[in-house]
Amino acid sequence: MKTCLLSFFVLIQTLALAQTKISGIVTDEKGEVIPGANVSIVGAYDGASTNEEGKFQFTTQEKGALVLAVSFIGYKPFQQNITANGNPIQVTIILKESINELEAVVITAGSFNASDESRRTVFKALDIATTAGATADIAGALNTLPGTQKVGESGRLFVRGGDGTETRTFIDGMLVLDAYGAAAPNTPSRGRFLPFMFKGTSFSTGGYSAEYGQALSSALVLDSKDTESISRTDIGLLSIGADVAHTQVWNKASLAGKIQYTNIRPYFGLINQEIEWDKAPLSYEGSAAFRQQVGKTGLLKVFGNFNQSDFSLFEKDILDENQRTRFQLNNGYRYINTAYKQAISKNWNMRSGTSFTHIKNDIGIGEIKVDEVDKGIHTKWVAEGSLSDAAEIVLGAEWINHSYNVKVDTSVYSLQFKEDLLASFAESQYYISNNFVIKTGVRAEYNSLLNKVAVDPRFSLAFKPGKEGQFSFAYGRFRQSPRNEYVRINSTLQQELSSHYILSYQLVENSRTFRAEVYYKEYENLVTQNQVTQRLANDGAGYAKGFEFFWRDNRSIERLDYWLSYSYLDTKRKQGNFPEQVMPSFASAHNFSIVGKYYFVVLKSQVGLTYSYTSGRPYHNPNENKFMNGRTPYYSDLSFNWSYLPKPNIIVHFSCTNVLGRDNIFGYQFSNQPNNEGIYVSRPIRQAAPRFIFLGVFITLSKDKVNNQLPSL
Amino acid sequence: MKSKFRLSLVLVWLTVLFAQAEDDKYVTTMKKQILAVYQAQTVESLAEVVNTFDRISAAEKEKWEPLYYAAFGRVMMATRETDNKKKDAYLEIALKNVEAAKQIASADVSEVVALEGFVYMMMVTVDPASRGQLYSGKAFAAYQKALQINPNNPRALSLLAQMQYGTAKFFNGSTDEACQTGQEAVAKFKEEKDEISLKPIWGKGMAEKFLSQCK
Repeated sequence: MKTCLLSFFVLIQTLALAQTKISGIVTDEKGEVIPGANVSIVGAYDGASTNEEGKFQFTTQEKGALVLAVSFIGYKPFQQNITANGNPIQVTIILKESINELEAVVITAGSFNASDESRRTVFKALDIATTAGATADIAGALNTLPGTQKVGESGRLFVRGGDGTETRTFIDGMLVLDAYGAAAPNTPSRGRFLPFMFKGTSFSTGGYSAEYGQALSSALVLDSKDTESISRTDIGLLSIGADVAHTQVWNKASLAGKIQYTNIRPYFGLINQEIEWDKAPLSYEGSAAFRQQVGKTGLLKVFGNFNQSDFSLFEKDILDENQRTRFQLNNGYRYINTAYKQAISKNWNMRSGTSFTHIKNDIGIGEIKVDEVDKGIHTKWVAEGSLSDAAEIVLGAEWINHSYNVKVDTSVYSLQFKEDLLASFAESQYYISNNFVIKTGVRAEYNSLLNKVAVDPRFSLAFKPGKEGQFSFAYGRFRQSPRNEYVRINSTLQQELSSHYILSYQLVENSRTFRAEVYYKEYENLVTQNQVTQRLANDGAGYAKGFEFFWRDNRSIERLDYWLSYSYLDTKRKQGNFPEQVMPSFASAHNFSIVGKYYFVVLKSQVGLTYSYTSGRPYHNPNENKFMNGRTPYYSDLSFNWSYLPKPNIIVHFSCTNVLGRDNIFGYQFSNQPNNEGIYVSRPIRQAAPRFIFLGVFITLSKDKVNNQLPSL
Repeated sequence: MKSKFRLSLVLVWLTVLFAQAEDDKYVTTMKKQILAVYQAQTVESLAEVVNTFDRISAAEKEKWEPLYYAAFGRVMMATRETDNKKKDAYLEIALKNVEAAKQIASADVSEVVALEGFVYMMMVTVDPASRGQLYSGKAFAAYQKALQINPNNPRALSLLAQMQYGTAKFFNGSTDEACQTGQEAVAKFKEEKDEISLKPIWGKGMAEKFLSQCK
């Protein structure tokens, strides 16, 4: 027994003493050595890091069949079987490059992504809030980027020769029926959704993913914030109203609510307005966002917004100033959005959502009353899978139910339509290497009004020839139902179509960005209206082409961040009552913006300046034979904003648009009938007031006392 | 019968002995590496220790310390790195290490969460203007959570003090609160035993250096 035990111990001792020396070299596929790689024996502590020459050496006491593992950032993990029996082992290991987020090329053609997290963003979420002249409006800030054409009297996003309705907004992937608030005719509307709600914004000026349909020109995809981490109360006292918001945080959930009261009447009492208001805009608004983490990977987001606003104004007849028509609008808006995402396996994620929009307009034009109701339901289901580190696939299906009804009280009939869209899409992205990626997609859409299925392709690729600069190309065909005003008259109108071709170059290097893009866009099936018979048809067409530049630098001068953008556009189209293809009134050939922000430490203030220039836009002068022959003067605006932070949780914000007071003219309205001399009399469409001045005090109450509302300004 | 009983006793004793040896091996190796991570001065030498912690953690799936120190080493790498891309790459893995450490039942959650806050704080430094709001919020929340679990955690206090100080400086405000927290941190550090064990003891020098700014 004793001998047995003894030999047992001896055996253990020998086992413990037998060491195997393992050495070798680690290189990449090109033969370059990799220093700092981690070489180990699986299941043991033994191992080493490679030195400057990619070499390593260590000994192990383990015996028998072992697995040698090598890992390094940016490379695929490597494993090799070895047998340790005391004899030295020498290995040469070649690591394969992995497709990784930091090094890989990305498709940037046509898209501006804004997020605080991604390192590659050209435009940041915070930029939306701090751009002078944007007055914290998402569209206002995006209008300083290339690809947009400023249309001052509208406030919406007009992209590459497309009109405002061709840009669609999506929140957490879900469609928003009308993303802009109610505004008086020829006065700019503001986006309904405040920038501080979102952690990321993706603004695409063309060639976007197959996931987004029903948009001819542009997709604005807003990604709402996840679960908040700190409970807080925000109070805002504004020159045009007040708001209060509260965020409550629990262990795995958060709820944020905000109520807002906006009354512009006292302000209009002080500052003379071009518009003769009967009742200046007054609105009540409430919104709530609920977040709940479900299990380890699930996240439920619920967001709701309601808004009730009304105003009325007098429109003077162009020929006879004494004849006034009262125009009145009462707008009710309800929006609710639910989005849920979860990992279903190691490589697959699932997200689904439903949104519901309900818009009710009570319009009064003189004695005539119009009731308009627009409703939309959107549900969507998407699965995203990564088949390997180089291949990704997205599959999805959605249903959009859109119903519209308008009734004029002098008529017994109402105009209405109900449209169901069923769509499915598939998109795959494949990395051939870190320098080359291809994305192909297809979207099939069934439209119940037309009882037809249509299939649209998408294709894009990106290529990185050197270390930093990269080229992208994107192509896609897009379709969109004609506007409510047309479909309510003729529900069998075909969908309007566009095709995009975009070539882009982007260089991002250490806080400096340069970007250049050329594009060509073709329109088909645009709805036209015959001037004599009033009949609607799909025989319009058109094109848009141009080039754009963008430069951003926040490195050269400390605390100064600025960007420049220039867009050139050449476009013509035949649509509506156009007799031929002409440049439409919302288009402008040259758009230029320069935005600067500087933080003054001594003044505890951030100061911003924005200058925008837009060349003259076409208008039709009925006194001339040639259609759309007029050109407005150019538009220019210099805006200023100033945020002062006397205490970490208090912000005083002042902003003023059009500091120089330029009298911008957006177009001309003409009388319906010629006057006694046989001339159609004109009236310019102007800004409601030369300047818009805003003053607000924002206070945040939270436990740590350092949070403030800066990002929400 | 008797000998069989004796044999089984011996076997039990052997198993215990081996388990102890295993654990001793773990403790000795860890102590050596923890000392190394505290002493490392360059990104390269830190990377080497971090690699070792990665290897230990791959072999010791039930232990939270290797993950914790791997994350700590990566944060230290980030403090010495000038290339923002690399900095982000280290911090991203550090965050993964922290997440993994939190899942382990025996983990000292207060320490792990405080380190998580440190990772967020370092993430802010890459792009303060646009990351400030999100990540400093996360960092504050992490320090508060760490202190909720263990109000005496000197590292959580010291990091919180630095965060408060930075914020006060940015807004040109009073640094009184930050300095008070810093003093509290230094007091707690003095209560901590200054010898290498598996428990984190880093941060005393940093806290004292911080406090010197307050005068």
